[in-house]
Amino acid sequence: MRHLLLKELLQLRRNSFLPRLILLFPVMIMCVMPWVMDMEVRNVGLAIVDNDHSLLSRRLIQRVSASSYFRTPSLLPSYEEALRWVEADKADVILEIPQHYERDFGRGSVPTVFVAANAVNGTKGSLGSSYVTQIVALNLSASLKRPVRQAEAVSFSPLSLYNSHLDYKRYMIPALMSILVMMMCGFLPALNIVGEKESGTIEQINVTPVGKLQFILAKLIPYWCIGALVLSVCLLLSWLLYGITPQGSVGLVYLLSMLLALVFSGLGLAVSNYSDTMQQAILVMWFFVVCMMLLSGLFTPISSMPPWAQAMTRAIPTRYYIDAIRTVFLRGGTLTDILPQTLALLCFALAFCLWAVLSYSKKS
Amino acid sequence: MESVIEVREVSKSYGKVKALDAVTLSASRGEMLGLIGPDGSGKTSLFRILTTLLLPDSGRATVEGFDTVSQMTDIRKRVGYMPGSFSLYQDLTVEENLSFFATLFGTTVDEGYDNIKAIYSQIEPFRKRRAGALSGGMKQKLALSCALVHRPTVLFLDEPTTGVDPVSRKELFDMLEPLRSQGVTILVSTPYLDEVRRCDRVAFLSEGLLRGTGKPDEILKEFASVFCPSPLQHEESQAASPDNVIEVSHLVKQFGSFRAVDDISFSVRKGEIFGFLGANGAGKTTAMRILTGLSKPTSGSGTVAGLDINTQSEQIKSRIGYMSQRFSLYGDLTVRENIALFAGIYGMKDKDVKAKTDILLETLRFTEHRDTIVSSLPLGWKQKLAFSVSIFHEPEVVFLDEPTGGVDPATRRQFWQLIYDAAARGITVFVTTHYMDEAEYCDRISIMVDGKISALGSPSQLKRQYGMPDMDSLFTYLARKATRTE
Repeated sequence: MRHLLLKELLQLRRNSFLPRLILLFPVMIMCVMPWVMDMEVRNVGLAIVDNDHSLLSRRLIQRVSASSYFRTPSLLPSYEEALRWVEADKADVILEIPQHYERDFGRGSVPTVFVAANAVNGTKGSLGSSYVTQIVALNLSASLKRPVRQAEAVSFSPLSLYNSHLDYKRYMIPALMSILVMMMCGFLPALNIVGEKESGTIEQINVTPVGKLQFILAKLIPYWCIGALVLSVCLLLSWLLYGITPQGSVGLVYLLSMLLALVFSGLGLAVSNYSDTMQQAILVMWFFVVCMMLLSGLFTPISSMPPWAQAMTRAIPTRYYIDAIRTVFLRGGTLTDILPQTLALLCFALAFCLWAVLSYSKKS
Repeated sequence: MESVIEVREVSKSYGKVKALDAVTLSASRGEMLGLIGPDGSGKTSLFRILTTLLLPDSGRATVEGFDTVSQMTDIRKRVGYMPGSFSLYQDLTVEENLSFFATLFGTTVDEGYDNIKAIYSQIEPFRKRRAGALSGGMKQKLALSCALVHRPTVLFLDEPTTGVDPVSRKELFDMLEPLRSQGVTILVSTPYLDEVRRCDRVAFLSEGLLRGTGKPDEILKEFASVFCPSPLQHEESQAASPDNVIEVSHLVKQFGSFRAVDDISFSVRKGEIFGFLGANGAGKTTAMRILTGLSKPTSGSGTVAGLDINTQSEQIKSRIGYMSQRFSLYGDLTVRENIALFAGIYGMKDKDVKAKTDILLETLRFTEHRDTIVSSLPLGWKQKLAFSVSIFHEPEVVFLDEPTGGVDPATRRQFWQLIYDAAARGITVFVTTHYMDEAEYCDRISIMVDGKISALGSPSQLKRQYGMPDMDSLFTYLARKATRTE
């Protein structure tokens, strides 16, 4: 067992490529992806048609221009013209201020503005138009000279709990960590046994008295360590680069991630046992990883999936991980909060590792 | 005479290693030029340069008068190349492979049919079979058909017969004869002496240098120390103990309706060197896999080291050593790490391993290479090391599956010296080989044909029994009786 483990580590070290990949991959993901995977919509192109040219409408335009969500808005003479801009992809949202906007407002009625959004890019359109609505409301309430009455007050005041600045980096970093663990602990073991099959050394191992369990464990443990290493690099980078640290205990973050690492290295080795070529192993593993990633609620909330898809996610180990890690990382949850998820992950980890051991056959 | 292949002062280096060092040789029309030399002597590099797959660092080579650097398209139209490892698409059928290669050269199977008829007709009955399911000899024939379908005038064969049994090898060389009379020039590399003798001239390469060219017999005589080492002295059955280490009775292994091993029975005595011979596909490897516990027999019984092959295969594994035909050490570990790994797997104590490793490295004269990565060692060294590792834990039996493929006779002789040393220590050796000179080295041999053992006894006894002058003719005589096509 000790010798087998030593062999795996030596092979890993001798490999000129893998150690570099193991370090470079997390660094790349952590340095670049949090900026890229920002779900917040910025730089919305806004076209404004001002039919009022009043003080109030100008103040509204000023406010919108000051907002960081929009590019400097373009003032256009007519709605038709604005629509042409949308078609030419120069604008995403149109804000049309009607005639007598200020006059109506002064008279005490609630004036309406017209907001149209290009829904081809759904997120951008809907978020953009809701920004505009917020600013319009803000503008109106600020312009009220008298004390705000209930009816006229802005009717919503969102409060984002636990992630008060709605910072997507904070939201995405646990997700990115899970992607890294999935990739590193899923693909590397998947290639390992197949690699031995292709080079022929597995034959030699099969005629020795080495036990299945020993052999598979010696293969699992290095990837487990790699998982821990990758996780540490991630946590360190997220603290150094973004000042983001887990709200909950770091120990729990490790516990969860190590369980995930076990799940995926077990799966990887099992796939590797069934495959005859590298190509086959990679494709099968890719299928599993992509399915698990998309069904995990990593990118899209599970609650908005159709019921049958929601049922499917129950069989996906990553779902429990994402759920639990976000609870710990963002909300500072404790073990009691994530007990069901942890147990589910543990079961998956045991099942996959057992599968890896059983599917390895010393006979053909 | 018109010269078809011209090589002038060609050199090629890979980093610090000089693969070819100012090599000059030529071949005339219709000639069969043999290229011989140990593994890593630059033969394949020369083939790749001549087939325009590799650019020489310096020097000039021409094929049919065309330069290999500037006129590669002209050359490619005129040559056929059969690389050492099979160049076939395993998932395509025989027919599909052939028509694919025909299309590559802008011709059709029908057009080229006359050229390959003699060879292709032998495998035509299996034209719907996938190339991957063919036996070694048939793959060879198909690969040759593919290389000939566009009627090339020059044929390059890079070790076409490595790992192929003697009968198929002879057939392949017989097929080359008519081509030469048609004016096809053939450049062939081979590790087998009988094939060397069939060439018109041979060129001996060693460490990138051309040591000599000439008639086969002259070259073999001149470099006798490499090619014809004095045969090993070995007394037959030197007080072999009466205990049987391997006993097998009525062993059968069936794959579907195909009986790979068909009711074989034999026994091997302790300390004996037992040669297990047979043509490709005769069932040798399958039988060996059963004995080493890699596969379960369909029926029949047997014991290895006193343990039952049906029920105690895991226990058997700790009492045997195994060296497969594919190189079986970890190429990315050093010599010492490999020894330590396998010794550790067999549960040897660290202290013993250390002491024994030093002795082993000393005897192999490997001491200064103990921290060398195994993949960078020459093939002959790797094989010696792999054998030493397989008997490091002092097993009762060691199984060797074609241990000496692709190395020159001198290296093979050194390897056999190691086998004798092991046998003298009481380790039983069970070995498969395609080299008939090695068969002579064994105490007893068995020859498998069509899944059955058709001859069993000491080499001299068998030669007497069948009235054959040497092992080679005996083997050919028995193996030709094979009826099965798998």
